[in-house]
Amino acid sequence: MTTIEHEVLDLNNPAPELPPSSSLTARGVSAWFGDHKVLERVNLDMPAGEVTALIGPSGCGKSTFLRILNRMHELVPSATLSGTIALDGDDIYRGDIPVTEMRRRIGMVFQKPNPFPAMTVSENVIAGLKLSGVKATKSDRRDLVESCLQRAGLWNEVKNRLGAAGGALSGGQQQRLCIARALAVKPSVLLMDEPCSALDPTSTRRIEETIAEIAHEVTIVIVTHNMQQAHRVSNTAAFFLAGEGEPGHIVESGDTETLFTNPADPRTLDYVNGRFG
Amino acid sequence: MPNLTTPDIATTNIEMTAVPDLIETEQRIGLRSIDPTAVFAVVGAAFGAMAFVWLLFTQFTAAGTNIGMFVVWYLVFITMIWVIGREQYDPVRARDLVARVVFWSAGLIIVVPMIAIATYTIAKGVTALTPNFFFQDQSRVGPLSPARVGGASQAIVGTLEQVAIAAIISVPLGILVAIYLNEVGGRLARVVRTIVDAMSAIPSIVAGLFIFASFILAFGGQLSGFAAGLALAVLMLPTVTRTTEVVLRLVPGGLREAGLALGATEWSTTRHVVLPTARSGIVTAVILGVARVIGETAPLLLTTLGAVSMNWSPFEGKQSALPLYVYRLFQLPQEVAIQRAWTGALVLLILVFVLFVTARIIGGRGPGHISRFRRARLAREGLA
Amino acid sequence: MQVIDPSIALEGTTPIEEERVRPVTRRTGADRAFRLTTFGAGTLTLVLMGVIGLFLLVRSWSAISAAGLSFFTTSAWQPDGGAFGIAAVLLGTFLIAFVALGFAVPLAAGGALFITDYAPSKIKTPLVWLVDLLAAVPSLIYGLWGRAYLQPKIIPISEWISTHLGFIPFLKAKPGAGFAASTFIAGVVVALMVLPICTAVMREVFSQAPAGEKEGALALGGTRWGVVRDVVLPFGRGGMVGASMLGLGRALGETIAVTLIISPTFDITRLTHPLETGGNSIASLIALRFSESSSFGISALMAAGLALFVITLLVNAVASLVVSRSRSGASTEI
Repeated sequence: MTTIEHEVLDLNNPAPELPPSSSLTARGVSAWFGDHKVLERVNLDMPAGEVTALIGPSGCGKSTFLRILNRMHELVPSATLSGTIALDGDDIYRGDIPVTEMRRRIGMVFQKPNPFPAMTVSENVIAGLKLSGVKATKSDRRDLVESCLQRAGLWNEVKNRLGAAGGALSGGQQQRLCIARALAVKPSVLLMDEPCSALDPTSTRRIEETIAEIAHEVTIVIVTHNMQQAHRVSNTAAFFLAGEGEPGHIVESGDTETLFTNPADPRTLDYVNGRFG
Repeated sequence: MPNLTTPDIATTNIEMTAVPDLIETEQRIGLRSIDPTAVFAVVGAAFGAMAFVWLLFTQFTAAGTNIGMFVVWYLVFITMIWVIGREQYDPVRARDLVARVVFWSAGLIIVVPMIAIATYTIAKGVTALTPNFFFQDQSRVGPLSPARVGGASQAIVGTLEQVAIAAIISVPLGILVAIYLNEVGGRLARVVRTIVDAMSAIPSIVAGLFIFASFILAFGGQLSGFAAGLALAVLMLPTVTRTTEVVLRLVPGGLREAGLALGATEWSTTRHVVLPTARSGIVTAVILGVARVIGETAPLLLTTLGAVSMNWSPFEGKQSALPLYVYRLFQLPQEVAIQRAWTGALVLLILVFVLFVTARIIGGRGPGHISRFRRARLAREGLA
Repeated sequence: MQVIDPSIALEGTTPIEEERVRPVTRRTGADRAFRLTTFGAGTLTLVLMGVIGLFLLVRSWSAISAAGLSFFTTSAWQPDGGAFGIAAVLLGTFLIAFVALGFAVPLAAGGALFITDYAPSKIKTPLVWLVDLLAAVPSLIYGLWGRAYLQPKIIPISEWISTHLGFIPFLKAKPGAGFAASTFIAGVVVALMVLPICTAVMREVFSQAPAGEKEGALALGGTRWGVVRDVVLPFGRGGMVGASMLGLGRALGETIAVTLIISPTFDITRLTHPLETGGNSIASLIALRFSESSSFGISALMAAGLALFVITLLVNAVASLVVSRSRSGASTEI
């Protein structure tokens, strides 16, 4: 694979302007849609510079929890919550930092690849600058496009197609473009909501490689239904479960290896071994 | 969109070519094959009905018109198909055959007026379509002046200015309302949507009455191209709003979330993500709005009245407009005036056609269409 | 700014009462301006609609108060001579619209079904285009074509109908009355004008007929007509009514095409014989009388316009109600 050359190069010269990755801490987080409670007092530490995987069956509140982490939850008009989320110790819901700034610090990659269809590949990468009105010189923008695409492991595939529309790429490439787009605003945390569920196995493997590449420079929280994937990519894992008609809660969380091989709760063992869910 | 290419397909192909006779003997089944019996029934019924009509109109009754004969022929034709169908198949299939013929005829009848109107307007209008029609005004045209003297330049200029005024008012307003309905929302949005729907039903003459009552009578404005533009704006606003709202609704919600997740404000997301994605659809909305009002005549009768000589200013004094020009000249007794009216109608028809085709071409473009201009700019910045 | 002490024990220590909050999204100044501007635009359309009704009412008040209820019962239109009312023009308006719908609705339904269920896929898109293009052709051109080309073709038909079907009272024509410039001809022209709009709306509704049910009917051995009759038509019934009402709204408000065709009459008996020369409508009354009216005459015309405005609004409100009902209610889940 020809990309190795670049990746090695990149590892040897980590971009100097990168902000340090941050830790996220959730304490007693509950969430409602209207009067329907979907999440029950979740406590979770997502350590800086590590990959945290959120696993569990569908409808157990993982995605809601993820969307609470960068204040996307409140886009639903009826949504409410309680508890605290802290980014390096600062409460993201009660602090002075505006929500837009907070979302820049905590980036997000969605389940379905969603590059902006009206923008080219390169415009997609620097969309964050345009959207928040940040001025940058031509050469800065060019450098940013190249470095982000390289970190997302996409540069070699698209370097001759930077002027193509974002939607013209394959599904896997689109998702990596979305990762590059999220990285371009220099977040210290990157949230990923089932980023591979719409992709084929080859593309999934490329995304996992990308996650491994960027994990040292940005904290990653990933929701996944794929047990092997969670096992492969994460250092920490949390198992969510929702009982019949009850809100979702964390059954168990901690070191990924322990959770998968020697969990404390029998339900976790059943789930990671594919016996339900 | 999983894109799996497994090597199995390649091997299967090789195996297939190893059995050549299988391919040679392969015969595709026509899935939409025509049943010869049904064709025979339809053609037979057509001729049978023709014979019946001939007998009826030449042998038994004297009165006969082309359309009357056609109507009788058609009724007999349908009955005969039904009878033959019952003989050949069964009542169920006979009814199916009749329905098929009836719906094909309905489709045909929808096409006929378009062709008839277009060909008739072209045939009538082309005789007086000379360069002077576009470059001279009507001021030196006497009742018997030949078609090569004078023209409708004052009407063309008037229409362009009035439609431009209408567009300047209703396009930004319409797009803002559509953004309100779809991007901002709120308790009032439902009411606004209902009212916009109701507005699209306002008869054009009522829009003219309204501008006359408000702009001219209440605020002391004068009969002018501007007043006409205001009336057209009232008619154009709902078209632009409704069409824009539909295309905004087609922008996937995931794109808005992606914009917000990058730390953008709502305004910035709308401006840089939603509107560009819906760009071609919005352009279509605007063009269709223009096409809707460009041929409106009734409101102009109450707001600008028309003029024979060129008046460049839409704010001072009466102004002509193409639809008014056509309407007035068509009611004159002179053959040459009616000829000019048809030429004006032809120009209007061409304008509408051009607008419509442009709208369709632009509307057919996906959001990923990147113009040559934009591509060049990106290339200059080293981003393409 | 609150700092969380990570030493707080995680599991088990559940606070007694949760403080449930709706996160406050503090918007930037640009966003507040954005929301306010679009909200203002939305409100402006509401105001505009109210102002239209208000201005018409204010300007027509002197005529309405002078005429009183006789405004609805008088058929003549002599505002300066004292007697004026919309009885005749209102009747004429509805007659033209009904003739128009009588032709347009069955044809539109047939044409729409042809496009959705019968047309080969190759000609489907061009047909949809053509219908939309026809809807954009100005009514002025329909009027011109109707008077110059269609009218001479229809007169003999009117004659034929009145001779052979004259035993039906309203199809009879007085000897020597003539058949040109009649309600019937105006109705046919307006029918052609509203045909594309009705077809477009009906096509839209029919095309949403559930594919699963259609295939199910075919799989049970049904014919294409069976599918249309048992699945598409029941599904699209509300849409057909709605489309017809929309067409009715257009037909009631049509001005120029009608004005170009009819020879205005205020005689109720002549109006009720649609094949005979003579017809009328509110819109064409305004168009024809406006430039020669005194200020009281204009006030009377405003009153007529107000009546037309209210009628079309009512018709359209019913139409959109029916269309939206049918779409939400009739869809079935497979």
